[in-house]
Amino acid sequence: MTISSAGELLERSEPLAVLAERLDAAQRADRGTLVFLSGEAGIGKTALARAWSTSRPGISALWGACEALETPRPLGPLVDVAEQAAGELARLAAGDPSPAALVRALAIELRRRRTLVVLEDLHWADGATLDALRLLARRVEGVPTVVLATYRDDGLERTHPLRVLLGELPIAPSIVRLRLQPLSLAAVQQLAEERGIEPGNLYRRTRGNPFFVTEVLAAAERGGVVPETVRDAVLARAARLDAVGRRLLDMVAIVPPRAELWLVEAMADDELNSLESCLASGMLEDDGSTVGFRHEIARVAIENAVPPEVRVTLHRRALSALSAAADRRSDAARLAHHAEAAGDSEAVVRYARLAGERAAAMRAHREAAAQFARALRSGSGLPADQRASLFESRSYECYLTDQVEEAIAARREAVRLRHELHDPLRAGDGHRWLSLLAWMAGDNHSAQAEARRAVELLEREPAGPELATAYSNLAVMRLFAYDISGTLELGARAIELADRVGELRALTDALMTVDTAELMAGSPAAGARLQRALELALEAGLEEQVARARTNLGLTALAVRDYKLADRQLAACVEYCSERDLGTWPLYIAGWRARSQLEQGHWDAAAELATTVLEHPRIAAPFRITALVVIGRLRARRGDPDVWASLDEALELARNAGELELAPVAAARAEARWLGGETAAIADETDAAVACARAHADTWIRGELLVWRRRAGIDEVVEPTAVAAPFAHELGGDYRAAAALWEGIGCPYEAAIARAGSPDARTARAGLAALQELGARRAAARVARTLRHRGIRDLQLGPRKATSHNPAGLTARELDVLALIAEGLRNSEIAARLFLSEKTVDHHVSSVLRKLGVSSRTKAATEATRLSIPTHSQR
Amino acid sequence: MKEYGILRRRGWRSYTDLAAALERADRVARDQIPGDVRWIRSYLLDEDRGEAGTFCIYRAFSPEAIRRHAARAGLPVEEIIAVAGTLISSHDPQNPGGWLPGGVAQATQPTKEE
Repeated sequence: MTISSAGELLERSEPLAVLAERLDAAQRADRGTLVFLSGEAGIGKTALARAWSTSRPGISALWGACEALETPRPLGPLVDVAEQAAGELARLAAGDPSPAALVRALAIELRRRRTLVVLEDLHWADGATLDALRLLARRVEGVPTVVLATYRDDGLERTHPLRVLLGELPIAPSIVRLRLQPLSLAAVQQLAEERGIEPGNLYRRTRGNPFFVTEVLAAAERGGVVPETVRDAVLARAARLDAVGRRLLDMVAIVPPRAELWLVEAMADDELNSLESCLASGMLEDDGSTVGFRHEIARVAIENAVPPEVRVTLHRRALSALSAAADRRSDAARLAHHAEAAGDSEAVVRYARLAGERAAAMRAHREAAAQFARALRSGSGLPADQRASLFESRSYECYLTDQVEEAIAARREAVRLRHELHDPLRAGDGHRWLSLLAWMAGDNHSAQAEARRAVELLEREPAGPELATAYSNLAVMRLFAYDISGTLELGARAIELADRVGELRALTDALMTVDTAELMAGSPAAGARLQRALELALEAGLEEQVARARTNLGLTALAVRDYKLADRQLAACVEYCSERDLGTWPLYIAGWRARSQLEQGHWDAAAELATTVLEHPRIAAPFRITALVVIGRLRARRGDPDVWASLDEALELARNAGELELAPVAAARAEARWLGGETAAIADETDAAVACARAHADTWIRGELLVWRRRAGIDEVVEPTAVAAPFAHELGGDYRAAAALWEGIGCPYEAAIARAGSPDARTARAGLAALQELGARRAAARVARTLRHRGIRDLQLGPRKATSHNPAGLTARELDVLALIAEGLRNSEIAARLFLSEKTVDHHVSSVLRKLGVSSRTKAATEATRLSIPTHSQR
Repeated sequence: MKEYGILRRRGWRSYTDLAAALERADRVARDQIPGDVRWIRSYLLDEDRGEAGTFCIYRAFSPEAIRRHAARAGLPVEEIIAVAGTLISSHDPQNPGGWLPGGVAQATQPTKEE
């Protein structure tokens, strides 16, 4: 795009300066950056990328783009980049690589050759490309390059996978976000006046969109009418071409994003004769091997104006030309696209199935699911066993992408067909799948029934891997139903059979299930099997089982409130998954990580983690419960609104998800009732959960429930050994001992609440002060009311001065840290000075930088002076 | 999106500090967490000793989004209150016109989703 009067881009010097600075950092300091460049369609993202990538002599760029296919090519833009890079990288890309493998190889290549990377139109990216981007964001700092990733942000819904990804990215100096603004009235004026067009009207219609402005200027007669829409402007410009030229435009328009010249040649009669005039008019551009529209907006405007009968003919020609030359397998997705538009169902089935298999191999699971659906739509005449297997493939890909409803629908069809085909092994295995999927959908009742049905069917057949897997699944389902003895029995059967037939997945899963059950039963043998399962999974390269084992290790630690171990295990799990194409697993465990942060008093971190779970459009129901509980408790303690919206949803989900989920929800609801002054409701909230909790060995959850009941004035006898130590102290009336234990464990809120209950006025006041320090406004108000009632006077409520009197809203601790940053101390020195761990100091430092909106420690000190934040140490 | 009121009593030592905070608030909402919160309007509170506070109306998907924005922009949050609807009096100088019974000029409920 050349939206310029003197050959340069108008009003783009700011983003160009940022990009130039990042390029300096890459060239001089070997520090890489991932830049996200956003803006509405036609705002000039590509123009900016081009101007920047050619701004320095000797620096070249590798380009890749996503295309507007209904189902895009897996890893499309990265494969483009790899092909341009040639050599080892191109060889890897030709062989269905995983995102992780491709990103690893790309990083090596970029260290070697020092080039820029431009990835365009990520709003159309396939799932594998987004996974690759996630990995790239983690590594880019150590790679001497700038990766410029562009996307349209108009019409990008909150639940769009790219939006989800952008929300997950950390705030780091190596990740920069730029947003292009429309042209100002002054700029539009300048352009309009050169062409004798009334500027006010042009600005109003185009709202300063550079592409729209250029289209109008290119199409308009001197003093002519300004078209209503950008589409009208494009069509007006195209109307100036002759009939042959128009036909060439149509041909190129149906081949997104750009058509190869050989392809156009194969499709064309005499249309190529007008290529020159199309290029001269500026409607099309060529780069030597392909021809395309100057902008996707123009392509779509022309494509939509192609009459339907012409469109079918053109797609047919494209299909036959491409299939005749299909020496590259990557063309399956394109072929399927043209086959569908051409109405050739046999070709759709053939290419969509191929494209689906390829996408699955490259971990573009969402695209694989869509391709299998496309094959099924066109493949009604296929033999039943082929349809069944397509449904099975689609269901599996939907399962991997959290499209649970779709996975269930496809699996049901597959099971029906397998029964018709008298194939009990596959039918039985299908019921086992339906059980797992029902659990993910939060429907415990169906999950239990399908698990039983699978075992019944498969027990009639010779015992094999399917039955071992069905046993293992039923064991898990019994665990969710809190049936410990059932779990142990079925788990043992699963282990025995899986071991015998060599079904390693079922074996590791069953070992983990049995281990958890033994832990709940208070068996001393607990733990050993989990370790063995992890070793087995690592040895056999079963990535999902490794993730599950690490998760279980984390949860086991979390259940006994060993936060150090829990955080370490869960972080290791996230690390493991992020490097290995298990992209959504970290999201599954984010709820538990949030719980850990909440209990350790890191409330903002807890809210961030829980929010990522709740904002995910398709997360399976059981994973939502934990996140809802965290958010509900947080809101209740702070006195924020919408407490019951989250806790009611949690209860609803927990009721359908099996008894195991009920206790934490009940404890949270009891706390929220207490904070809201509705102590009379606590018995009802906890009765069912207490009955369950009495029946098994977890002294922590039992203690939590019983303590809330005691705080509500319910007087019941509790054996001190039946609950964990801090609860036993509080129930025994020793509030200070309880608080001291909580502090040792690392739970400041629990410690404060325990103190606040003490009959000793000084201890209670200390509890109140600690609650205020934590930002537990509602809890503090509740406690203050009780204390006043008891005759304790002079209680101070309200935000502390230190926080409210500094403009960046730093906490007292952050002010301490900032003071020491200003003194030039390193994190390890700050840690020693403030008696904190280095990790905690890291946490505070990044929070300080974030709040001050700066990227370095030096700048933080300057900013502190500018805002007159006191930087003398507070203590 | 839902509507929330946010009380920031005595958040700033001066109106100059407040102006800087507004600039940060705008920048954070636009660049760091686009689409998360939308600022609707604020009332400036006349506090003692030249200090400044605000009562703000925002739209957001959750109270956590309000807090996240505040934390990143360095704004204090004393209390967040969910807004159930708006009543505008016919005497309101900013009354957009029109009459409803009882001297109320306009009554709206915030839209649940946007």
